[in-house]
Amino acid sequence: MTVEISFDSNWQDGLLSRMENDGPWANWELFKLAVEVEKHTIIPEFDGLQAPKHLPQLTPLPHQLEVARQVVENMNGKAILADEVGLGKTIEAGLILKEYMIRGLVKKALILVPASLVSQWEAELNTKFFISAVAQRKSYVWEKCDIVVSSIDTAKRNPHRDIIYKQDYDLVVIDEAHKLKNSKTKNYEFVQNLKKKFCLLLTATPIQNRIEEIFNLVSLLKPGHLGSEAAFFEQYKKNARSVQDDEHLRELVNKVMIRNRRSDTGIEWTKRHVETISIETTKPEKELYDSISQLSGNDAFASGAFSLMTLKREACSSREAVYYTLKNMLQRQESPSAAYEQTIGALIEKVQAVTTNSKAEKALELIKKIGDKVIIFTEYRATQLYLQWFLQQHGITSVPFRGGFKRGKKDWMRELFEKRAQVLIATEAGGEGINLQFCHHIINFDLPWNPMRLEQRIGRIHRLGQEKDVMIYNFAIKNTVEEHVLKLLYEKINLFEKVIGDLDDILTKLDFGSIEDHLIDIFGQSSSEGEMKIKMENFTSMIQFAEEMKGGTSHAATGNP
Amino acid sequence: MQQQEIHDFLNRYFQANSCPPTEMTSSHMTIQLSEELDKELMNRPFYWHYLEKTGGVPNPMKLTLVTNPQQAPAEIKGETIHFGSPRLHQIFASAKKLGSYIRLYESRQGQSGVQVPLLPWLCLNMKVSYQCDRKRDVYESIGLQLINGKMVTSFHERLLQLPLTPRIPDYAFTLSPLIMPRSGFMRIEKMMRTQIGNEDHSWAENARQRWKKDQDLLDHFYKGAEEISESYEVEKQALKEQFEPKIHVSIINGGLFYLTEQAI
Repeated sequence: MTVEISFDSNWQDGLLSRMENDGPWANWELFKLAVEVEKHTIIPEFDGLQAPKHLPQLTPLPHQLEVARQVVENMNGKAILADEVGLGKTIEAGLILKEYMIRGLVKKALILVPASLVSQWEAELNTKFFISAVAQRKSYVWEKCDIVVSSIDTAKRNPHRDIIYKQDYDLVVIDEAHKLKNSKTKNYEFVQNLKKKFCLLLTATPIQNRIEEIFNLVSLLKPGHLGSEAAFFEQYKKNARSVQDDEHLRELVNKVMIRNRRSDTGIEWTKRHVETISIETTKPEKELYDSISQLSGNDAFASGAFSLMTLKREACSSREAVYYTLKNMLQRQESPSAAYEQTIGALIEKVQAVTTNSKAEKALELIKKIGDKVIIFTEYRATQLYLQWFLQQHGITSVPFRGGFKRGKKDWMRELFEKRAQVLIATEAGGEGINLQFCHHIINFDLPWNPMRLEQRIGRIHRLGQEKDVMIYNFAIKNTVEEHVLKLLYEKINLFEKVIGDLDDILTKLDFGSIEDHLIDIFGQSSSEGEMKIKMENFTSMIQFAEEMKGGTSHAATGNP
Repeated sequence: MQQQEIHDFLNRYFQANSCPPTEMTSSHMTIQLSEELDKELMNRPFYWHYLEKTGGVPNPMKLTLVTNPQQAPAEIKGETIHFGSPRLHQIFASAKKLGSYIRLYESRQGQSGVQVPLLPWLCLNMKVSYQCDRKRDVYESIGLQLINGKMVTSFHERLLQLPLTPRIPDYAFTLSPLIMPRSGFMRIEKMMRTQIGNEDHSWAENARQRWKKDQDLLDHFYKGAEEISESYEVEKQALKEQFEPKIHVSIINGGLFYLTEQAI
């Protein structure tokens, strides 16, 4: 087998001209330095990373090194890093960036992360990897600094966008990249238009069983690789074949995606202890819930299975949450019918009749008993505000946390929580992109229906660096939809004990659609208790079936060779 | 390269360019750049162009480099240098550029009446890069004696043991080469080509197999397309660039050395 050998022949011309002109010649010290530089930058083996040698103070975990190696050696720097939450995707991305910088292949890099993580990324790259990353605070930073960390929301807005489009990036890293799976969004378009040589997409949510998500994410990494969009969809959608069944697609996904599960890492994780706390409500609270349930026959709400479900779930959280939604429902209608107004009015009366919040009482009791840092998650902002007030009334210090906070405020709140306050009250959007390993108690004041979101919540504290066992308390009000969901998702399917990774497999096995849709169907559309029971049984056995199937086959789309 | 090595390297680089650091601790250094080094490193051609046009007084910059941010004095503001940082790469590149060609003499003084003959050697320090979707480099230093055609390896490392000087020492004289440097260069190239050709190239075969697999996958997604689209060609070319096995020999530096007969 012959390989083409090219020989650098320009050099000798320089030598000849210097001989003719008697110089200029280098001095011996610089000559020696030049050889030393080359010896230092040489890559001695086809395999293996250079970066770890230069980072003596960092001890990456084996799976992190493996990811970095795979991306550099086999994926040509274009990859979706889809490790489960808390396995250290930042470290993996840092290693890859460092490796490319050492090899001189990356000089300019753009790192787009959630606003709340900008400072953290900046700090980690600087202290752990000695990469002089700069958080974008002034607009000249885009041009002047080599490694810039920013939030995508800032970057995509002008004047920044126009400046960024003019830069040639060697590497673009995008954290929480699952937000880019829809190609119609501004964010997607923005990332697509960046000039980039290498690209890393980080996400804890793997590519699921949706052809278009795969197409979109792969197209960001390797535009044109999948053929034209139209031809691609024609071929794959028409047959409605799932990704799993198509060998080529699967092969492709394996070429661009790496996913580690906790169980693969061989690391001793601290345990998760899950405790479900059933809560008895007071009479007015129960009445409020029941009167919402009774609306399902009401014509005015006929089309609103969704909002009814929302109201029910809110009634399980706080009266404030219900009130807020009711008020909105009323305002949205331009000329509400008298009947509609009356129904809402009646509900608002019920809301006003509620004077206590049984869950909050329970939470207070629990927080006092724990006597340590606690995070409370709720889906509703109204509940968040209420809880803050409620805890304050009882002398418990708390700080709020929301996705909408600006970066500085998020950092500040995190710091306050670590140093001053006992409780952090976070809403869903705030769950992403904040690391709180110093705390090991979570109260799920209400439960998200999407298991991925739940995993994100727990992942905030159950991650590398957590030294204690993690306590998870799930609140559910007796005889409500909340209890049903809890029973189904979190007891029958054992969601809490299994880390979510197993569930990915299960979901990808079946062309399932979102769990949330199933739940809404089960709990929202069922006309009787009986129907609900049957649907729940169905759902459970589907999942169990998939689990059994999984036992037999390999981790196709998500596994790595 | 550890931080201490980087620190020493930087110090030597600036010393060798006649800009010894004006202030230095074990964790940082400040350098008053010379005009040449300012032009070399600071990337401000407009400033220098402007000065030339207006005849102003040059004011080269000061550069502060921090090699250990934890220990550096707090009031020090400078660029943190670590392996992989662009500034260090720039200085590496500069060292290579400024250290490309050399001519040195072994420093052995003869006596009047007994003159020492110095034999000409062509030195080539090379990097052989084996490239496909992965990369491996091998450093090689070859010396060719330009009178009898003798070739030795690890030439640079042998030179490090010798006293060398840029001027011909007293009572020493150089012998004229019988082999001209241009043909000497070709002899070394030929030897390298033969040597590399005899190596085991299974790495290239493996790369071609990986390449074919990816190409097949790409073809699959374009199967049935009526005309060959531009994006297909772009992707195909990208695969070629990624996988095609190639070997490139680049010259790090080299030059002429005049050495005594006993030296090598």
